[in-house]
Amino acid sequence: MFKTTLAGLLAHKLRLLLTSLAITLGVGFIAGTFVLTDTIDAGFAQKFTADAAKISVAVLPKGDDADRQQEPILTTGDLAKVRGVKGVADAQGIVQGTAPLIGKNGKVAGSRATSGISITEGALNRTVITKGSAPAAATEAVLDKDTAKTREFAIGDTITVLDSKQVKHQFTLVGVFDVGVNQELSFTGAVGFTADTALRMTGAKGFREIDVRGGDDVSPEDLRASVTAALGSGYTVKTGTQLADDLAAENNMDTSFIRMGLLLFGVIAMLVAALVIYNTFNILVAQRTREMALLRCIGATKKQIFGSILLESVVVGVLSSVLGLLIGLGLGAAALAVLGAVDAPIPTGVGVSLSPQTIVVGLVVGIIVTVAAALLPARAATRVAPIAALRSQVEESTFRAGVLRIVFGALFLLAGAAVTAKGAAGEPGQDALLTVMAGGCVFFLGVLVLAPLIVKPLSAFVGWLPARLFGVPGKLAVDNSRRNPKRAATTTVALTIGVTLMTLISVVTTTTRATVSEQLNKQFPVDYMIGTQQHDSSIPRTVAAELRSKPEFGAVVVVRETEARVNGKSVSVGAFTVDPEFKVTPVKGSMKDFGPGTAAVTSWTAKDLGVTIGDTVKAAGKDYRVVALLSDQSSPVYGVNLTEQDFDAAFPRVMDKQILIKVKDGVATDTSRRIVEAATEPYPSVLVESAAETRGAFDEALDMMTMIITGLLGLAVLISLLGIANTLSLSVHERTRESALLRALGLTRPQLRRMLSIEALVLGLIGALVGVALGVTFGWAATQTMVSDVIFRAPVLQILGFVALSGVAGVVAALLPARRAANASIVGSLASS
Amino acid sequence: MTMTTDVRQAVTARGLKKVYGQGDAAVHALRGIEVGFATGAFTAIMGPSGSGKSTLMHCLAGLDTVSAGEIHIGDVEITKLNDKQLTLLRRERIGFVFQAFNLLPTLTAEQNIRLPLEIAGRQADQVLFDRVIETVGLRERLGHRPTQLSGGQQQRVAVARALISKPQVIFADEPTGNLDSRSGAEVLSFLRRSVRELDQTIVMVTHDPVAASYADRVIFLRDGLLVTELYQPTAQTVLDTLMKLEA
Repeated sequence: MFKTTLAGLLAHKLRLLLTSLAITLGVGFIAGTFVLTDTIDAGFAQKFTADAAKISVAVLPKGDDADRQQEPILTTGDLAKVRGVKGVADAQGIVQGTAPLIGKNGKVAGSRATSGISITEGALNRTVITKGSAPAAATEAVLDKDTAKTREFAIGDTITVLDSKQVKHQFTLVGVFDVGVNQELSFTGAVGFTADTALRMTGAKGFREIDVRGGDDVSPEDLRASVTAALGSGYTVKTGTQLADDLAAENNMDTSFIRMGLLLFGVIAMLVAALVIYNTFNILVAQRTREMALLRCIGATKKQIFGSILLESVVVGVLSSVLGLLIGLGLGAAALAVLGAVDAPIPTGVGVSLSPQTIVVGLVVGIIVTVAAALLPARAATRVAPIAALRSQVEESTFRAGVLRIVFGALFLLAGAAVTAKGAAGEPGQDALLTVMAGGCVFFLGVLVLAPLIVKPLSAFVGWLPARLFGVPGKLAVDNSRRNPKRAATTTVALTIGVTLMTLISVVTTTTRATVSEQLNKQFPVDYMIGTQQHDSSIPRTVAAELRSKPEFGAVVVVRETEARVNGKSVSVGAFTVDPEFKVTPVKGSMKDFGPGTAAVTSWTAKDLGVTIGDTVKAAGKDYRVVALLSDQSSPVYGVNLTEQDFDAAFPRVMDKQILIKVKDGVATDTSRRIVEAATEPYPSVLVESAAETRGAFDEALDMMTMIITGLLGLAVLISLLGIANTLSLSVHERTRESALLRALGLTRPQLRRMLSIEALVLGLIGALVGVALGVTFGWAATQTMVSDVIFRAPVLQILGFVALSGVAGVVAALLPARRAANASIVGSLASS
Repeated sequence: MTMTTDVRQAVTARGLKKVYGQGDAAVHALRGIEVGFATGAFTAIMGPSGSGKSTLMHCLAGLDTVSAGEIHIGDVEITKLNDKQLTLLRRERIGFVFQAFNLLPTLTAEQNIRLPLEIAGRQADQVLFDRVIETVGLRERLGHRPTQLSGGQQQRVAVARALISKPQVIFADEPTGNLDSRSGAEVLSFLRRSVRELDQTIVMVTHDPVAASYADRVIFLRDGLLVTELYQPTAQTVLDTLMKLEA
């Protein structure tokens, strides 16, 4: 039996390869994910180790490492103590805070304040100066190379940096440095100073870390002990090696998120691959009915037949998994090259390799999925009766919908729909989203079960136009597409998975975009938003006052907020600008009654405080009557909202966090922009953003996300296209004589090719249509769980694009099988049985 | 096309040679055949296995290429046509009946019959269609698919399909090979009737002397050469001739 199986496999190398490809791609993606994240981890570890080699001991303030953004609590006194420890050759404090760089336009650079760091002198320096020199004097500074490039500063230029009190200081740029793998610095950009200047500029009260270099005769462990002894408790003291290990471990947590995210797509790809394999083996078994029957005739047992099919799947599984691992290695290397090319803050220079873990995971996943997918077809093969060997013609398989199938399918559909409806109708939130997702999965199972039933009507629907447009080849193609509904169903469902998810993602993002912008528009159509880089810094009140004096502006709404105790509980309290342009519709009560001495409270806060309309809330020693309950999703609205006057009386020191401006109709954009910019000019940390810019940035981020997710789902779609190609080429093989007959009757080669292309087109379109229907429906349900009043939008063009692409891709998948069918000799094909 | 082409010949072959393979492995299937098939006649091609009778038919019908010689169907020299022209020629001028697998399983009997016309984009001659259907006696079965028809019925559908486009010649390759003798007799008499009544030209390859006896003329092949022929054959005379050839 074993030999027969192997001989059979070897005789059909191409078929074997095509079948393997689906699994190969899936395993390749999973292996690639591991290769990528392993390599990044290894690179970070190497980098940290290299850094740590410079340090004998590091002193950190006690507390969670992740909270190091908090005030450093290592003082200059601590530094002096450490320097006094015997065996310490050098000790340097590391400062990191914010030091906003002023760009060439006179405004602070970037949306986040630039980090200000100390550049340590001497051997303990961990910063790599790539050009120029390290700052040696209080008037010198260095910039990270990305910031220097984007803000167009060159060595020798004078740069202006704000200190913690918003006062401008000028420095000579003496060098640029590489932030290396520091994610935080690479995100914010960084200015480097001497340690003293860094302390002064950032306003930091101490150091984040003290790095210690020991003398040649002291081991790091001994030094650690003596430093600990000198400082006492309240400090974490690590050796350089420990520090490196901890940093690497911390970093691995981050990469494990990337890994999980990517693996999710790998799992989807494997699911699709399993469907493709299942279908392929089913067809192979059907085509080899006579071969199986002959084997049974000459004495093979059912068990042997079953084993032979399983063995074949094992060979396919092993082969494709091994190929997949190699592809994974290539994918990982390619991804790293791309990341390196876009200057992502990840370490480079570590070679990619397959870890034993990756090899095991890849092989196990690939083989298990392949064999599991072949189980049902193998069982079907055992049902072949020996007598089938004697029948001259293989029967056309007819599909009859069993009652069991209909009942189970309907049950799945109903259960899925019910669960989804419950999730969509319930309170928005994560639970609701999970409910909808679960409902979606169950519903999809129902679709999977019932697919053979819906393929027929769908192919009639989808094929209506091609059948009329392309004459005889078109009609025959549409007939062919549904002659084996089960096969067609599995082939198309594989494509459906990818298209469903793609549609779902684009529906969700489009809806989110529409909802957010509609929310903004409905409440207060803002033209300009004035804000600051850091959320804690504030806009002087004079800015709003000045803007309000301008006749060009219809409304100027200030956002003023503070955390305060109301009725004994800590809630956010905000000032609410009463303006006819700024409409907020309360859930309960009326904003007409809102005025001095009253408050509008959001529903959630009202529940939290146990108050309702008519009750009073006590804030800063004064009572306010609640006149309206507001929706939790209104913005800019806080827990408890007072009039501007009341707020100012209660919290006189709180400055503006944001100013929202609505320009009067008819005022030219450049006029309004000039006025806004003039008003904010004296304050470099105050930034002006037009609504268009804000939305642009938001849209860009959403688009980016959609693109990445769609790209990753593309893999699943690619695999399902392999499935179409595979099914089609097997069908072509099955219909060799039929094709020859058609050719003899006068069908030209191009017509025969067209016939197969149309069949693929129809299959592709069916898969895409079901996917789009599911994607839109469940996308809708998913968006219902996000916020209560969603503006549902389906990106029609994008969805049509998916459908068109699926059709085209189907046609592409048919190219090779169609060529082979068209080029076959008529006489030879007629003779073959 | 040459001036000497006899217009009363539906199909002619001159110096027809067909070689498979090369060098030592070369198989000479046809070694120079000169033959003509008269319009409105029913001709059977016979010969022992390996005599080249199927190859001859495939070449005559333009399904296979020739190594040497020329073939005319009507006034067209098909040996000079490319694949596309040959396909169009088959569409317009040739009908086929094969031993098995004549019908598309997805189409009904009527759809199968009309298929060649549809491929050619021609309208069926309704009078001819009705006449053919009456002759074949399949009126009640037109809506059935091939799997719902008996072997004899399937072959009759195939013959009807060949007739419907009024081809210049119908090639039948062992049309009764898969049938029991009663169904076979039905199909054969139907073929002969279509020659008599519709003035159809039919060339049939067969190894069955009884089937050959329905023809007006039988030509005999041996080792790729035309060796003899019989006019107005009976099963007995055909059998006798075959016996002589085998000896």
